[in-house]
Amino acid sequence: MSAAAGADTARRAPRSVIVVGAGLAGLTAAVELARQGVRVTVLEARDRVGGRTRGIEVAPGRWIDAGAAYLGDRHTELHALLAACDLKTAPTAMQGASRFALAPAGADDHAAGDADTRDGRFPPLSAVALGDLFEQLEELTAAVRPDAPWLSPDAERLDALTVADWAEQQLSHPDATLFFPLFLGEMMAADPARISVLHMAFYLRSGGGLRYLNAFEGGAQQDRVAGGAHRLCERLTRQLLDLGGVLHTDEPVLSVQQTGPEAVVRTPEGSYRAEAVVVAVPPLLADAIEFRPALPAPRAASRTERGCAVKLNLVFPEPVWRAHGLSGWSVNAAGPLLSTVDDTPPEGSPGVLTGFVTGAEAHRFAALPPEEQRAAAVAQASRLFPMLPEPIGFHVTDWVNEPWSRGCYAALFGPGDWSVLGPTLTAPHGRVHFAGTETSTEFFGLLEGAIRSARRVVADLLGE
Amino acid sequence: MSLDMPVTTTSAAPATVAALAAVFCRILELDDVPADGNFFLLGGDSLIATRVLSAVARDHGVELTFEDFLTDPTPAGLAARIAAHTAARTAAAAR
Repeated sequence: MSAAAGADTARRAPRSVIVVGAGLAGLTAAVELARQGVRVTVLEARDRVGGRTRGIEVAPGRWIDAGAAYLGDRHTELHALLAACDLKTAPTAMQGASRFALAPAGADDHAAGDADTRDGRFPPLSAVALGDLFEQLEELTAAVRPDAPWLSPDAERLDALTVADWAEQQLSHPDATLFFPLFLGEMMAADPARISVLHMAFYLRSGGGLRYLNAFEGGAQQDRVAGGAHRLCERLTRQLLDLGGVLHTDEPVLSVQQTGPEAVVRTPEGSYRAEAVVVAVPPLLADAIEFRPALPAPRAASRTERGCAVKLNLVFPEPVWRAHGLSGWSVNAAGPLLSTVDDTPPEGSPGVLTGFVTGAEAHRFAALPPEEQRAAAVAQASRLFPMLPEPIGFHVTDWVNEPWSRGCYAALFGPGDWSVLGPTLTAPHGRVHFAGTETSTEFFGLLEGAIRSARRVVADLLGE
Repeated sequence: MSLDMPVTTTSAAPATVAALAAVFCRILELDDVPADGNFFLLGGDSLIATRVLSAVARDHGVELTFEDFLTDPTPAGLAARIAAHTAARTAAAAR
């Protein structure tokens, strides 16, 4: 519908909008608004678009993801947007055996480096103990209210309890105690000591449940974006500019003032005016913006933390592990590489082994000097996959300390946060609306959640 | 736990098969699972297979391994495994 299509719509919809943040949420909203005839200006703090998606060119024309990468069939808005941007997906299908180095922490160095080879992705741990863990997680997940977790039965108790305290009470088998933090790191990039049980249960439910969120084939990691997920934001930027929208990079927003007839958004470079503002940055960054009048409730609370993920990409001439019957998948009790996955581009080379450093380990690893990071990661990769040659490329993306993301995969809600943040998660503040994956109760923290948050805000602004 | 137990010589109780079919239904979120319904073909994967083994341990007092499960991942197959383990345990106790 064009802005002139109905008098009512034309009267209610703002004629100009400033979007803060050129990540997937901000750019999706910007393009949709521009398409409806709204004058759109996007302000981005970085020198690039894409937010928590970023591409690395590992060989001419061959890209991998340094940030968000995966999608599944239930990510319907993402699939629609990819089609609209003329982008394709590539399956993540893994073939071959997995490697597991699950000797408990505290074992001597030799034992900690030894790895088992197993078919499939099931770790060499007690299936019954892991099943007990997953039965309990399923029970929590099923009980949470996905649309309003702070209103779930028993929400107050679950919001006050850390996941680490819950695990201490509920898990008795050493295999469950060992595996649970690794699982949570993989799923949420979270340290169990720093998030609430309510947030964990909500996150798992929001993403489609334990099985869906964990699975590659048939789950949330079924596919990647061919050529890299960052291309989505690049294509959206081109569409925005073609529609007459404006993008300013290197302009972090300092304040949003709405005391006059328009909102005034200030950056170090100047000020911008519009009838409405869409703040599409992660909660910790939204909360750092000065709002006048002040927000009635914060965007991040006292225990809200950065998602703890450092992503490593080791590049080799070929994915040599495949010839040895290995998939590249590994799960490891000791860091830095708590898990690895084959991220070789669909063309088949160069070989890319991606490592995830998550949870508390991400903070430790991020504090190391670059040469120690590389030495530790390469040494561990070589123990897991002894056939590996010296890497020809090594990339570290430290999302934890990335000033314009402040964490990845998503903000982590600590004890008490949902009760503070939940009721106003999607509430506009005057002319200011909030988007971003952490404002979507559906697929919270994922690319899909970012797009759904943008669709919600656009519908609000256009009075649909 | 040995993998070469005499599964075929031990018949599973129909009640156990029905109880396992009910566990499959709960975990796979299906209304009906036949006795020969294959867990993986019905949408299961290794993560939620462990939930079946947790339920078996809780309800039948038998700790099966993931490999036990893979041998015949159906309600009838698992019921036979449970019967074999129970029989082996009874025999051992009688010795």
